[in-house]
Amino acid sequence: MVKEIERAGIPVVHICTVVPISLTVGANRIVPAIAIPHPLGNPAFDKDEQKAIRRKIVDKALVALTTEVDGQTVFED
Amino acid sequence: MKLTLGKIFIEDVQFGKDTKVEGKTLFINKDELLDAVGESEYIDNIDIDITHPGDEVRITPVKDVIEPRVKVDGPGGIFPGMINKVQTVGSGKTHALKNVAVVTAGKIVGFQEGIIDMTGPGAEYSPFSKTHNIVVVANPREDVKQYDHEAAVRQIGFKAANFLGELAKNLTPDEEITYETLPLLQGVEKYPDLPKVGYVYMLQTQGLLHDTYVYGVDAKKIIPTFMYPTEMMDGAIVSGNCVSACDKNPTYVHQNNGIIEDLYEKHGKEINFVGVIVTNENVYLADKERSSDWTAKLTEYFGLDGVIVSQEGFGNPDTDLIMNCKKIEEKNIKTVIVTDEYAGRDGASQSLADADPKADAVVSNGNANEVIVLPPMKKIIGMTDYVDSIAGGFDGSLREDGSIEVEIQAITGATNETGFVKLTAKEY
Repeated sequence: MVKEIERAGIPVVHICTVVPISLTVGANRIVPAIAIPHPLGNPAFDKDEQKAIRRKIVDKALVALTTEVDGQTVFED
Repeated sequence: MKLTLGKIFIEDVQFGKDTKVEGKTLFINKDELLDAVGESEYIDNIDIDITHPGDEVRITPVKDVIEPRVKVDGPGGIFPGMINKVQTVGSGKTHALKNVAVVTAGKIVGFQEGIIDMTGPGAEYSPFSKTHNIVVVANPREDVKQYDHEAAVRQIGFKAANFLGELAKNLTPDEEITYETLPLLQGVEKYPDLPKVGYVYMLQTQGLLHDTYVYGVDAKKIIPTFMYPTEMMDGAIVSGNCVSACDKNPTYVHQNNGIIEDLYEKHGKEINFVGVIVTNENVYLADKERSSDWTAKLTEYFGLDGVIVSQEGFGNPDTDLIMNCKKIEEKNIKTVIVTDEYAGRDGASQSLADADPKADAVVSNGNANEVIVLPPMKKIIGMTDYVDSIAGGFDGSLREDGSIEVEIQAITGATNETGFVKLTAKEY
């Protein structure tokens, strides 16, 4: 899906846990997620902390979306 | 470490007045077995059924399959850390009741997994259609928590297998095989001219109904470690998982791992089988990186020339498989990976979620997306209420006449990634 949307000329950020798979399938902007069963949160934390985790990832994804990249780029912390 | 495995071949299983093995028949007093299994605060009721190869019987949902075994000589007991006390097993003497299996079935938590047909086309796909099965159907209390339910049914299976295994203690085995693995330096010295080969045994460790236990430890919490291959034969590794049952290792497979048996077969002749590295398949990327770093580090430390890596499951564990392969190859150690495929119903899609050019020696155990129609059976042990929602099933899978159209991934053991199956795939 990432590749097809990009083929249509729209940049895509792939938020995913298993970064190596994202690299294999050819995503250009990759933001690492938390874990496979809960990519954007962590049930070990309370609601406020979870919200902060989600916001941080989404903010990072928005930064990635507006960043020019030269080839595949993983946006680490 | 040296273990003699004595096999007692059973030809029939029947309910009887006493629980005993007489001739080639295993007789079970149902009440005695129920007593041995005991009550659980999480289980409402337990029933026991027996079914044989060729019976028009479908068992579903299947949770685990277990071979009855007993320690006859040497330290520890079967299923250390689960049933018996934690003590290193794998030496001395063990007896196994062959051709029989304890199968745990019944409503299982949320995912309803695993089909074994005892006859018909489905039977060809499950190795457990060939065993006389003692099926323990455990129905939970209504308000039970999922984790408690899973643990209760898991334990019920081990208790039943342990109880039946005890019957083999004083029997004379029909066949005995002795397996020996020497401590590393001695082992290397003994066969200096043979290539040193190890086995990286990947265990499914992804959470509820996706877990595996090593000496009672939830394997998602281990870092990769060394084990003597005979430890597995005494139940040091047990299953807590059954979702997408085709490529999960029931406890029976851990007890009878074909890769280990075949490596022993060639040990001292073609290769020097040095031992087993157990590792996990966790849901965090950092865990995947750490565990694959460690398997590679251990293979290097043991001075291996070649490694066989077997996977359990599919999807994100494909990445663990490829990471293990890549990092071990980077140590200049040859690898063969053993897996299965999810290549779509027509077989035309990419087979694994991850790939690398270094994975250039691959054994496939079949395409789990292949569709099969399982004809109706005269008797169902368990229930078919959940067939539409099992992995490999779809809305309308269960037809009105009782037949089931389903991907073979729903069949217990169909594409087992230790090769415990008939299926394979070849490239032409």
